[in-house]
Amino acid sequence: MRALAIHKEEVTMRSTTVRHLVGGIAALACALAVVAGTASAAPSGPPIRIGSTLALTGPLASTALVHQLVGDIYVEQINKKNGLLGRPVEWIVKDDQSKPDLARTLYEQLITVDKVDLLMGPYATGAILSAMGVAQRYNKVLVHHTFGIPSLAKYDAQFPTWSLGADPAATFPNTLFDALATTPKPPKTVAIVTSKFPSVHFMSLGAREAVKKRGLQEVVFLEWDFGNRDFGAIAARVKDANPDLVWVGAIGLEGNQLLDAMKKIDYTPPLHFYMYPAPGPMAQAPEAKNALAATIFEEHAPYLNNPGAAEFVKLFNERAAKAGLPYTAVETQAAASYSAWQVLDAAVTATKSLDDKVLAEWLRKNKVDTIQGKLRFDGPSNYGDDLMAVKQVQNGRWVTVWPKSVAAPGATLMTK
Amino acid sequence: MNRVYAALAIAGALLAAVPLLGLPLFYESFCYLVFHWIVLATSWNILSGYSGYFSFGHGAFFGAGMYTTATLASRFDVPFLWTLPAAALVAVLLGLALGAVVFRVRGVRGELFALVTLAFTFVVGTIILNTRIDGGPGIYLSAVPIPKIGPSPASTFYLLGLAAALATLAIAYGIYRSRLGVGLFAIHDDEDVAEVLGVPTFRCKMVAFGVSCGLAAIAGGIHALFISYVTAGDTFTITVPLTVVLMSVLGGTRHWAGPAVGATIITALLYAFTAGDHAIAGKAVFGGVLIAVILFMPQGVLGTLVARRRKRRASAVPVPAADAMMETRPPREARPIGPERILVAHGIRKAFRGVRALERVDIDVREGEILGLVGPNGSGKSTFVNLVSGHYRPDGGELVFAGEDIAHHDAHWIARAGVARTYQIPRPFEHLTVLDNVAVPAMFGAAHLDRDAALREARRWLEFTGLADKAEWLPEDLNLHQRKFLELARALASRPRLLLLDEVLSGLTPTEIDGAIRLIRRIRDEGATIVFVEHVMRAVWALTDRIVVLDHGQVIAEGTAEEVMGRSDVVTAFLGKAHA
Amino acid sequence: MGLPSLSLIAQSVLSGVFIGALYGLLGLGLSLSWGLLRQINLAHFALAFLAAYLCYQLSTVGGIDPLLTLVVIVPGFFALGVAMQWLFARFEITAFNSLLVTFGLTVIVESLIQSIWTADFRRLESTYGNAKFKLGFLYIPAPELLTLVLSLSLAFSMWAALRYTDIGKALRAAAEDGPIATAFGVNRQALALLLSGACAALAGVAGVCIALSYTLAPAQIYGWIGVVFAAVMMGGLGRPLGPIVAGIVIGVSESVTMALTSPSWAPLVSFSLLIVVLLVRPSRV
Repeated sequence: MRALAIHKEEVTMRSTTVRHLVGGIAALACALAVVAGTASAAPSGPPIRIGSTLALTGPLASTALVHQLVGDIYVEQINKKNGLLGRPVEWIVKDDQSKPDLARTLYEQLITVDKVDLLMGPYATGAILSAMGVAQRYNKVLVHHTFGIPSLAKYDAQFPTWSLGADPAATFPNTLFDALATTPKPPKTVAIVTSKFPSVHFMSLGAREAVKKRGLQEVVFLEWDFGNRDFGAIAARVKDANPDLVWVGAIGLEGNQLLDAMKKIDYTPPLHFYMYPAPGPMAQAPEAKNALAATIFEEHAPYLNNPGAAEFVKLFNERAAKAGLPYTAVETQAAASYSAWQVLDAAVTATKSLDDKVLAEWLRKNKVDTIQGKLRFDGPSNYGDDLMAVKQVQNGRWVTVWPKSVAAPGATLMTK
Repeated sequence: MNRVYAALAIAGALLAAVPLLGLPLFYESFCYLVFHWIVLATSWNILSGYSGYFSFGHGAFFGAGMYTTATLASRFDVPFLWTLPAAALVAVLLGLALGAVVFRVRGVRGELFALVTLAFTFVVGTIILNTRIDGGPGIYLSAVPIPKIGPSPASTFYLLGLAAALATLAIAYGIYRSRLGVGLFAIHDDEDVAEVLGVPTFRCKMVAFGVSCGLAAIAGGIHALFISYVTAGDTFTITVPLTVVLMSVLGGTRHWAGPAVGATIITALLYAFTAGDHAIAGKAVFGGVLIAVILFMPQGVLGTLVARRRKRRASAVPVPAADAMMETRPPREARPIGPERILVAHGIRKAFRGVRALERVDIDVREGEILGLVGPNGSGKSTFVNLVSGHYRPDGGELVFAGEDIAHHDAHWIARAGVARTYQIPRPFEHLTVLDNVAVPAMFGAAHLDRDAALREARRWLEFTGLADKAEWLPEDLNLHQRKFLELARALASRPRLLLLDEVLSGLTPTEIDGAIRLIRRIRDEGATIVFVEHVMRAVWALTDRIVVLDHGQVIAEGTAEEVMGRSDVVTAFLGKAHA
Repeated sequence: MGLPSLSLIAQSVLSGVFIGALYGLLGLGLSLSWGLLRQINLAHFALAFLAAYLCYQLSTVGGIDPLLTLVVIVPGFFALGVAMQWLFARFEITAFNSLLVTFGLTVIVESLIQSIWTADFRRLESTYGNAKFKLGFLYIPAPELLTLVLSLSLAFSMWAALRYTDIGKALRAAAEDGPIATAFGVNRQALALLLSGACAALAGVAGVCIALSYTLAPAQIYGWIGVVFAAVMMGGLGRPLGPIVAGIVIGVSESVTMALTSPSWAPLVSFSLLIVVLLVRPSRV
């Protein structure tokens, strides 16, 4: 029985084995090593405790296990070098069972009973909102990685690493349509079908606006209840409307379910876009050929050139395979997660402090190098640049195609 | 009884002081969650556990409360505490509207009621998701100011939760001990019998349902602010109803505090296994614990403890020698039969899907008489009894009791007016003690006594029928003779003016029949009028003043026993024609 | 927006029929054990998913044809069902207690599934998944057709068995009045074991159908409970044809709604219809 590496208590270790530092260590690691000042590379002293919850069980567990892996990897990496401020890092993670009210209470436990030094965000918008409320109450910094509705992030010491930009419903659809405009035959008619799940619904409404503004024609607009099982009628209506582009406001498996239903009635949309699909199933399904989606990181250049990216990707691929995950590539979820750790790390290291006020001040004023690129937090709701890009399933893998600055070398948006 | 309220008050005062202790605030939030589930489970149990109307719709009312608070507080800036009574009101109206339709339909019981309430949840959820109430994005409450009730926000929720839990427990206990509670438990075991004994079943169910919905909504309102982000998809699911069912069953559904015990255990268990390292194994252990508890405590934790205590009490009562019939009062003179007709049935018709059970039946019953109603099987005797007691409504004709037209009244109204009946196959309330069985009609019948007086009255009738020593037994422990007498005691306890005995002697031994005959005479001497449906001719001869003979739904003869039983057509009806 | 085309409506109806058939297949075992054994078996869903995962594993890793996995799954789950019933009988579990016990079992099975296969998504890719037929302008995908065929045939077989065979009559008698049935020589314990095994085997078959059409994750066990319970209760407990009829009613009413208006209204239509049907004709559907 393969168990996931679930909780790691990293205690001070006296390393007797000789290690080499793997090539490509980021400048970040060097910065950490400076602090120790001793000949030994191992951190020492009382551990710095970082607390968070994750949906280790329940419906959100399917994606949350990526975040668990990432956290384990980061903590291991940091403890192999010089720890945080020379001290070992201990990550205390609790299972919020995919329930926001549990997440809220567990964060309170982490702060008031376990008395952790720092917080890390949980998985997904609902839990993050709950955690944010608690963080606000106790004036703790909350760096989080999977928050989908920037307009709801009202606490001034929360820092998002999912770089949606402050108004993604307005900005991202434009990014997509800009990408599509570069194809030989840009779409003129658009079908917008969406789940009513909060973090995708408002994006789809933004898409409707964009369609209007660009003078395109919306041929059908459908909304379904999150949890819908039967996509036959929806697929049939899309097929009937015969659009050039199908925008699917899908989250998780919904995209695959719709694709499945379309396949069953022999319909392949000319262009299709999915908001937040579960990456593994979407990349691996044969009928998902050329599917488009949003991303902030993929496993190719130029992303791989960012600090820490290459090493992380390699580690993640290994660990995911070892943990028995069917899909082992790094994409938005893992990247946002790793960035969150990098951000927290950078703030602590730069200020040499664990004081949340100090950390928040620093983050608001400074930029952090992450595997996504440089992140800043001085925009509305502490959101910085919109780093959302467009990726596409090409030959069973996700490949970024737009904007050109982050597209994989030589990659273009493929149409039928 | 006051002990419980006092205990609740003391517990409340002690617990309310906890925020002042300066413990880590997590404990207060955890306790809030326990209180939250106590409110939900206990309120569910008020309808579903007490009355057996198993609802899968608790989520709808919880959600209605959440959304009322969320909408009022964040869109209309209503101060949070004022939204709570509004939430309760909305849910109560919603529940009463549903109940008014569903409780009237006879066939919707058991799992069908569960289904209707589950479907109702999905309907409400979909409406909320698709209209401006939510519309999709959810409602965000972080901007709503949390009232400063305690030293910190966590304390505020703790105290609000505590108050709600105490109120819910007090209400649940109050109902449990009240007439309403007795009625609900009677409905649980046999709703039709309860109705016939005078329990206003529709009203009881509506009140219980309304209370249940209102309390759930209050829990929802408080919770909306606790989690500060409300979405339709998370709220209107089967999760809340399933969880409260599990909690109530674990703790014991027949006890007012059972669900609270279950809620505490399950919430604590859920938290015990949140440590990240063994999250999956922890969940499995949680499942295992649930299984283990219910296997060894099948009536729930509290239910089993209470049952064990009752067994000890029942076995401690000394058992006297034989079924002595104690004379509690000197026999009165036989009352003369009055000229008034206490019951007039005229032109009664009743058909069941084409089978005409009764056709143009005219029967008069004079006050103080014992009227025998005889006839071969299938002649309509039981149907007549069912009509008079209100179990069915006649298709046509008049039915006047003591001057009032009873054909259009509910059975419980008829019972209150003074009609009682026994069932041919005894139908006691299986989960109530013998004493409680008899107390039900004393509380709801013509006498309409309060609880203590009803229990005294019940004891009196148990003595009258020789069952006094079995007062704490359950009906399943009685033999047929005793069950028949329990039926009788139950019918008498409501102090009826008209008593309908439906083949009360069937299955008894000759000695038992003699005893029964003596008993019935005494009953008439106490002032009741009796309609005596019977096959045992010996008893008919001995007891009746007059006889009415039914055959194939029609009255074929009427008069004294001697007059009637000699007629050839009556003999033919009973024995068939002689073929040479 | 004019009226939707006939092919759209027809395809939607068909889609509703297919998913209704799956509700019916999932509900069949649940309905029989609830109606005839007085047990509300939540673990039925967990068993179905366990079978789905086993089918996935045997197919993807073992290379066995998914349908052939039934050869292993049906008898294996039959044995599981017998074991479960033996436990239930030994502890004399009542209807509502069975809800609690089976919930505990569900949680345990879910944890087992998650620890073996992780919470990540698993999808069985098979030749069946891509095969489809065409009937005029209607598309009929193979896995759904298979589910429909299995669901109908199993429902009818159970119905016929209960109605016409001696064992079936004995089962119905035992369900209606246990002590009297025993007095007539019916071996209730053996029958209960047999029925429980059959219900578990039915769960296994449902699981294979799920594996063919859906992507799997452990927590999905709970996603089906609401609607299948609705189909079971509406179809009448213990009536083999009930769940599939009710399931199809639910599926088609939702699907047609999705074809005609905004799909997010679908649950409103299906469940309001349910309520109305129950109020108008509560005794049977």
